[in-house]
Amino acid sequence: MGAIFGKQKVKSRVTEQDRAILQLKQQRDKLKLYQKRIQSTLDKDTEIARTLLRDGKKDRARLILRKKKYQEQLLSTADSQLENLEKLTHDLEFAVIETQVIDGLRIGNEALKKANAVFSIDEIEQIMDETREGVEKQKEIDEMISGALSDQDEEDVLAELDSIIKEQTKQAEPAATEDEDMEELPDVPSEDPEERAAAKKKEKVSRHKEKVAVEA
Amino acid sequence: MAEIEWPWQYSFPPFFTIQPHAETKARQLQAWRTLVLNFHKVSKQSLLDVREAHQNSLFSNSSIDRKLPVEGILLVLEDLQKTGNAEPLDKTRNRWLIYWHTLEEWAALIYSWAQASGSLNSVCTFFELVSGDDTTDQEFYGLDQEVLSRALQVLESQKKAEIISFDDNQGVKFF
Repeated sequence: MGAIFGKQKVKSRVTEQDRAILQLKQQRDKLKLYQKRIQSTLDKDTEIARTLLRDGKKDRARLILRKKKYQEQLLSTADSQLENLEKLTHDLEFAVIETQVIDGLRIGNEALKKANAVFSIDEIEQIMDETREGVEKQKEIDEMISGALSDQDEEDVLAELDSIIKEQTKQAEPAATEDEDMEELPDVPSEDPEERAAAKKKEKVSRHKEKVAVEA
Repeated sequence: MAEIEWPWQYSFPPFFTIQPHAETKARQLQAWRTLVLNFHKVSKQSLLDVREAHQNSLFSNSSIDRKLPVEGILLVLEDLQKTGNAEPLDKTRNRWLIYWHTLEEWAALIYSWAQASGSLNSVCTFFELVSGDDTTDQEFYGLDQEVLSRALQVLESQKKAEIISFDDNQGVKFF
């Protein structure tokens, strides 16, 4: 029907093998029907033979049984033919599947070739180079946008950081000594001012010595 | 032929006269629809000839001596046709095909069997489908050839199958 009414672009998906398989199967169906028919006549014949025997017609019963035997032989022949048909059908179907498998392999192989053709070694190198360049450029852009610093700047920053840290530690130490100074206010003089004046003179002499000692 | 379980209406004489009151008639038709489909499902028959319908126990109940008139039968059948459950085979509307499953349902049933049995992409004969050894437990086993062929045409229009017929070979390839 498709061939007559169908549009030409609709291509039948039925192959020659399908038709052959169909014919084989059809033959098998016919054999099965034939077997059914023989089976039913066999059953009938047995029944007839029984009634004939009951009526005492032994000769006719024997004839019927002979016919039955013959048909049984036919049945077994049909069975073997059926087996042949089924075998052939399966072989054919399997051959079709095999061609499909090979087709699949071929298509896969072609696809792989094509995919590989796209990636030639030179091209890959080029692509990798370009990628690298791209990454570098991206880095530069990043630095520009986020105001990132050059190596030199980076060193400067570190140096400044160091100096701040040093200052802070230094500041922390003097603060401690200052506190001590506050506590050590000069005591109220306990001796007489005269004695003190005399002592001062002495002190003045020894002052230089003391300073050196302190400083050391 | 399996015995059908008759509904209570079947022994109810007014059931065999088309009722004048619209609402009653609708319900009566509904009951007839169910009965007709059920009858054909149980007996696995797809053909109905209106001219012989009265020999059929479906439309005539001898125990209460009632028969559904031909007009009534046609009314029921036309109602069935509306839902895709029946189809006339000739223009005189005497011979009908009864689908207790619609063709779409049959198509789906057959296709799901083909899928389950791994018959996709392979060829099956019509005989194999309705009388083969692999489908004895399927609902479409013993289905009328004409109905089968029409259901397969539905599948064909859905691009799920293609009917192959040449010489006297008839088969179908599932996809």
